[in-house]
Formats: sequence, C-alpha cells, structure tokens
Amino acid sequence: MNDPAALLAAVAAGDRAALRALYDTEASRLFGIAMAILRDRDAAADAVQDCFVKIARRAGQFDPARGEARSWMGGIARYAALDLARARGREIPSDDPALGDTPVEPEALDRVLAGESGARLRACLALLDPKNREGIVLAFVHGLSHAQVAARLALPLGTVKSWIRRGLLDLRECLT
Amino acid sequence: MSADDIDALAGEYVLGTLEAREAAEVAARLATDPALAAAVAAWEARLAPLAGLSPEMAPPEDLWDRVEGALDASARPALRLIQGSAPAAWPRAVPVAKSRWLLRGWAMGSTALAAGLAAFLLVKPPEEPRLMTVLLSSSEQPAWLVEAAGGAISLASVNRAPVAPDRVLQLWALPQGATAPTSLGLLPADGRFTVTPRTIRPEPGMLIEISLEPPGGSPGPRPSGPVLFIGRLAAARGA
Repeated sequence: MNDPAALLAAVAAGDRAALRALYDTEASRLFGIAMAILRDRDAAADAVQDCFVKIARRAGQFDPARGEARSWMGGIARYAALDLARARGREIPSDDPALGDTPVEPEALDRVLAGESGARLRACLALLDPKNREGIVLAFVHGLSHAQVAARLALPLGTVKSWIRRGLLDLRECLT
Repeated sequence: MSADDIDALAGEYVLGTLEAREAAEVAARLATDPALAAAVAAWEARLAPLAGLSPEMAPPEDLWDRVEGALDASARPALRLIQGSAPAAWPRAVPVAKSRWLLRGWAMGSTALAAGLAAFLLVKPPEEPRLMTVLLSSSEQPAWLVEAAGGAISLASVNRAPVAPDRVLQLWALPQGATAPTSLGLLPADGRFTVTPRTIRPEPGMLIEISLEPPGGSPGPRPSGPVLFIGRLAAARGA
C-alpha cells in the first residue's frame, strides 16, 4: 500500500506506520520544497517537522475527490515554510545566486513540469510575458514577497504587484 | 470585492507573495468565506505542478524522530501553556508555534502579556489555586485571557477582532480524557464573560476553545464552525 491517498486514510485512523511510510516516500520532496523557500537546513527541518505533524492531524480532512494527495502534502509544506519565512521577515536575500538555478524559460519548464496538469500549466505559462512568468515562478518556488520579486527583476514594486495580479488572472483564463 | 479581486487575492495567497498580515487575514477568512476558500483551493490545484521545480533534498537524519517526538508530546496530557493540541476529530484553527522564531516572538510578547494578566488577576479576590491560559489568534496574537478559580471560568478579550454580524462566538471546554467538549455558552459582544459550569470543573490541562457559530450557537453537541482560538489551562504559579 504505497498509494499516498490510501496511506493518508490510514494516518487519519491513527496509523503511525502509515505516516512513517509517507515520510519515507515524501520527506525528501517536501524538504526540497521547504529548502527552496527557506535556504537554511535548520529552518527547513522545522518546517517539514511542522508539516508532518499537520499531515498527521489533518489527514482526515484530505478529500481525494478534490485533488492529489501529493499536491495536498506539498501545499502543507509550502505554507509551513512560507509562515516561517514571514516570521523571519523574509530575510533571504533576493540576489542569492542560487535563486538563478530555477528554470523559468518555457523550454526548461518542459523538462520539469510532468504530467497532464503540468503540461497545461507550462503551456499557459509560456503565453505570459517573460518577466511575468519569472515573477510568478520565482515567487512560488522561492517564497519571494512582492518586494523581493521587484528587487530581483529590477522593477518598481507597484509594477510587480500589478503584473503578478495580471499574470495570475491571465493564467486562470488560460487554464479554464 | 469583485470576483476578480477575490480570485487575485486567493492567487497571491497561494503564490505566497502576500505579507504576513495580509496572509494571516486571508487564512482567517478561509473558515468563514466559502467563495474565498473555493478560489484558494482552485489556485492550489492550478499551481501545484510548480512544486516539482524544487529539487529533492535529503532531510536531516533525525527529522523523523523529531516528528514522532512532536506528535507524542502533543498527545501527552502536559501542563504546557498554549499547547494547542486537540483531538484529531475536533477542528483546530490555531497553528502550533513549533519554530524557534515564532517562540522567540512569543517570548518577547509575553512580558507585556504578563503585565496584562497581572492586572486582570488583581481584580479577583484570592481563592484556591488559579488556572490560566492565553488563547491565540490564527496569527499567533494573544486574543483572550482565560482564568479559572473556584470552579468559575472568566474570559477577557484583548486585541479583539470583529465578528461577522451573523455569527457568534461559542465557548467550549474539554477536560482531559473526555471525548466530547462541553459548551460553556455564547460570548457577549463586550468580550467579558464568566461562567461556573455545573457538569465539569476547571482543572489543569483542560482545553478551552472558542468556535465561530451561527446565531444561537452550534446546533449540535460539538463546535459546528471553525475553532478560532484554543489554549490549555495551566496552574498559575505565584499568582
């Protein structure tokens, strides 16, 4: 029983071994998500610990009809990391050279966004203005604030806010 | 707010670009705003594939032990202030401050809080050992001071956020070992409330919770709406 949704159902019933099985298959992925946002192993470990405690407590709230189990867990890890990043005042410098590792070009996104939903998303991201696309991808992956995206793209804060908003609404329209 | 405004706010919340205060406001609204909650869920589904862009990394070796330790600690009937744990079947809305950064913030805030608690306690005549807790909002701000003595439980609000006109706040207590909470009544608008429950007696470790409910309170024996505030009574030493 390695299906994450089935494991979550067992976790909801209090099965610690099922939580351990989820940890074994998901911890590296969730730690990677937290590290991309926090860039600090201690902080990322705190976020992933919080994430698994929340997975244990909220497993009963996961509804397979409304999404994939791995996405649900990834979301919990992201929010846990974002909360920590905000609590730290998002001191992560936006000129960190490692931020440049994340692909934002359409052809690079092709290689990493797998699956049907990934294919649709990358097709719609490809239609966005390049700076819009970069702002959205960097904000999601690295947990950058509006101000940090603005610093990285060397654009005024107000411009970045309106571009991200416009980009999100264009993305929504394209994905409908 | 227009439909586009709500959707853009939800998108920015999921994207993570909102500042702490804005994000906390959205998180607090999710429980009571179905349109916003649906918009957030839709954005989570749309953007979820982007999580695949973060390369996997092996976590620290001891992380699983830490997860188990945290789960066991919260399951144990400890007398820790602001423990915030609740039975899995009971909805909970207050995130547990696990990180050292959040705890540091809490430690800095607790001095001012202690002064407030002291003033609060002075108005009460001394009786048997006092129990107290502070209920935190979803943004970790102190929201309610709770004190129990002589079988009575008293609440006073601090930093109180407005409640929607068609909603009320309902107070609940869950003694340790009990499987169902006991309603202690609806909280008045002025934020001060004292009750002496007949069927239960305040004790260390008892969970105190406040849920958001329709007018008249929860139709059932448990909270029907989200639990907005939660805390665990602990003995107040030296009070």
